Amino acid sequence: MDFLKSLAIAASGLHAQIGRMEIISENIANADSTAQTKGGDPYRRKIVTFTSELDRSLGANVVKLGHVETDSSDFTVRHEPGNPAADANGDVKYPNVNALVEMTDLRDAQRSYEANLNVITATRRMLQRTIDILKG
Amino acid sequence: MPITDIPILSMLHERMEWHQERQRVLAENVANADTPNYHARDLAPPDFSHEVQRASLALDRTNPSHITGQASGGSQFAADSGGRYEIRPRGNSVTHEDEMMKAASNQMDYDAVTSLYTRSLALIKIAIGKA
Repeated sequence: MDFLKSLAIAASGLHAQIGRMEIISENIANADSTAQTKGGDPYRRKIVTFTSELDRSLGANVVKLGHVETDSSDFTVRHEPGNPAADANGDVKYPNVNALVEMTDLRDAQRSYEANLNVITATRRMLQRTIDILKG
Repeated sequence: MPITDIPILSMLHERMEWHQERQRVLAENVANADTPNYHARDLAPPDFSHEVQRASLALDRTNPSHITGQASGGSQFAADSGGRYEIRPRGNSVTHEDEMMKAASNQMDYDAVTSLYTRSLALIKIAIGKA
């Protein structure tokens, strides 16, 4: 049944977007997580990747979350000699998380989630119409 | 005689299958809207021109001032306007707006086809005196 395939594909999209939102919220939550040791590296921003994968039992291309990569950009350094995570010069490394970027990404994820949800609603309605033929 | 031997029903049946398949392709596009290097796809519309021509009916001109009508033989589906997609830097060409439009039109067309199917079945019911 092809409609069930469509539903499964859209559901895989929902799963992937939820996984993406999880990583984004992890980034936002850890926006100020400094190192536990003196002069150590703080939390490094994570980035999700998506891959299109052929689900053999389904015979369709579903979307899956790929590796979670780390953002290799530089940390922001602030001079705070009193901070427990400060190095010998009194500099503290803060995570390379930009709240604005994360919020934009979150919106994007939300929009994609809604789009997948729309597909499910449309497919469900089509399925319902097929069943209605029996009643006609 | 199986019910699918009736041309109109077999055509509608084929059309419904096409809409089903298209819904799957659109679902794939939407699900992969954030997958790098994924290109949006669509189905070519089915061609029923041979079926329509077989039972072609010409319009009669009852008044000379009427514009000569042509039986709408052959399917005048608009060709898929490929190449209007924008491709984002990550190599993905899925536009949510486009896909939503297509999903909506697919659903509406499917509604129309199922209604026609129901009507055609009702005609058969009338023919066998069960209306």
